[in-house]
Amino acid sequence: MGIIAKNVGKIFGTPPVQALSDISLEIKSGEFVSLTGRSGAGKSTLLYVLSSLDNPTEGSVEISGHEITKMDSEELYRFRNQKMGFVFQFHYLIAELTAIQNVMMPALKYHEEKKRRPRAEMLLEQFGLKDKLQRYPRQLSGGEQQRLAIARALIMEPLYLFADEPTGALDTTNAETVMNILRDCSVKDGMTVIMVTHDPDFSKMAQREIRLADGRVVD
Amino acid sequence: MIFLALRYLLERKRQTFLTLLGVFFGTMAFVSVSGFFLGFQGYLVQQLVNNTAQVHIEARQDYLSDHGLDTSFFGDQYSHYFWNPAPAGVKGYLDVQSPQMWYKRLNADPRVEAYSPILTTAALFNLGKISVAASLIGCNPLQQSKVTTIADYMIAGKFSDIAMGGNRLILGDELMKRLGAGMGQIILVSVGTHTPVPFKVVGRFYTGTRGLDLQSFGALEDVQKVNLTPNQVNEIAVRLKDYNQADTLARTWSKLASERVESWGDLTMNIKSMFTIQDTLRFTMIMTVLIVAGFGIYNILNMTVNQKRQDIAILRALGYDTFDIVMLFFSQGLIVGVFGAVFGLISGYIFCKYIQSIQFMPVTPSNPQGHLHILITPMIYIEAASLAILSASIASILPARSAGKLTPIEIIRQGG
Repeated sequence: MGIIAKNVGKIFGTPPVQALSDISLEIKSGEFVSLTGRSGAGKSTLLYVLSSLDNPTEGSVEISGHEITKMDSEELYRFRNQKMGFVFQFHYLIAELTAIQNVMMPALKYHEEKKRRPRAEMLLEQFGLKDKLQRYPRQLSGGEQQRLAIARALIMEPLYLFADEPTGALDTTNAETVMNILRDCSVKDGMTVIMVTHDPDFSKMAQREIRLADGRVVD
Repeated sequence: MIFLALRYLLERKRQTFLTLLGVFFGTMAFVSVSGFFLGFQGYLVQQLVNNTAQVHIEARQDYLSDHGLDTSFFGDQYSHYFWNPAPAGVKGYLDVQSPQMWYKRLNADPRVEAYSPILTTAALFNLGKISVAASLIGCNPLQQSKVTTIADYMIAGKFSDIAMGGNRLILGDELMKRLGAGMGQIILVSVGTHTPVPFKVVGRFYTGTRGLDLQSFGALEDVQKVNLTPNQVNEIAVRLKDYNQADTLARTWSKLASERVESWGDLTMNIKSMFTIQDTLRFTMIMTVLIVAGFGIYNILNMTVNQKRQDIAILRALGYDTFDIVMLFFSQGLIVGVFGAVFGLISGYIFCKYIQSIQFMPVTPSNPQGHLHILITPMIYIEAASLAILSASIASILPARSAGKLTPIEIIRQGG
């Protein structure tokens, strides 16, 4: 089903700034897409609009056949919890919770702790954090924190993974590890991955690159 | 969300503890101060209600006004009269005009527990060369014992001893001391200019209140004879099954006859005003403590909301809705409120029990242990807990609502 954006526009701020103009695109299910462009091109804004974190001021966004702006809030939150995963440049881990508790957070919303616990442990093992389940985020390195954040994004087995410069705060080695994980999500697990990146090398790892300039798709 | 709220609270142990301390002291203060004040009020009311009658039916005596005697003296002859000097003093009767009618009415009323006809007069008590002026109360001791607790304060003899008649007296301790009288002695009692009559002292009572201990009791018939007013009474003291009905009944009865009918509450208006002041003071003081505690919760939660903006952003992205976010912060305030209230209630109870167990005041017949009277009743605890939790809830809801209004994108764009 994928994601379909039709004539999406976004204006925000005072004075008003046209962040996105007339963007129409389709991202197929299981596709790995990178959004690139210079700073201020509208990459992150487009990612947030496509992922329902932000609403478009014009046009519409359809995910898996559901038009986001027409979904009621309960439906949207459930959809976000069950079908979407998010990875940001900063890990946004909850400092008061251990690694395993952070990963389990999405599962707590609809009381799926028991069901998701084995997957949480499997993901942490897969990401090299098996022996760090009870550690707090401050006791982990930057790379480990970001892998933990990815594990949290994947716990609910989402159909869509949205990543906003996931390697932005990492060194090369850790950045490559994170990119490999994201590629595997798409290639092995059939997940639709949409990633914002500045890095041309990482951008090439995606199946398709969408370039933006001044809030428009240029390529 | 409670799980995460607890984590947040435990992460900031010192702040949580200090906030909890505010609610704790507020609740403990409520329990203790309310216990003191209400205990004191209850004790005072009990003393007033038990030691004296709850409704007094007395001979009507009104103060004279400047023109109160115009018609009696001159009829309608002139439209205005000038008095020099103007009439003053009281007018009315010295005795209850139709006591039999009152007895009939009181006997028929199911709300009446007991009543006692009384004749009170000022008398001069003489023993040898010593003379003391004091009140002489004539009553039927059996009926009087049902209306007041005077029989409980007997330290020598029995209150019923005066029932046999034959000029027997029970004196208050203070009156005994002033006369230098002893049990069995004969004293002379004179009323006004009438011939002194000998009375035998057959009992002694001590209430601890000097005014009351200067009184004396005799059989109604004996006092009527001394006063030269046979068959007259100037008061009917009434005890009710429920003393709270005293005001209502006094108002109703006062409309039925010319006698003045007053409740114990009417006679102790100043005490009731004092209770109102005490209650106002109590609530003001406690609310101040709880408001300060509430501000503590508000400040700390506000700070937490600002510190946890990133967490709010990610929780929203993970599918947690506005209600979850509001509850995350609201429940922290509520947890502090509930725990502070529980500890405050327990400590307040222990404190009250301890204060209650030690001697604070001189021993009196009405307070043989000299303890403070502290009220320990579930209502105080329910009120204290409700106020503490309400104050914590109000203080929490504002920061919680502001957290609920934050959108993930707003936080992420601002860099957390």
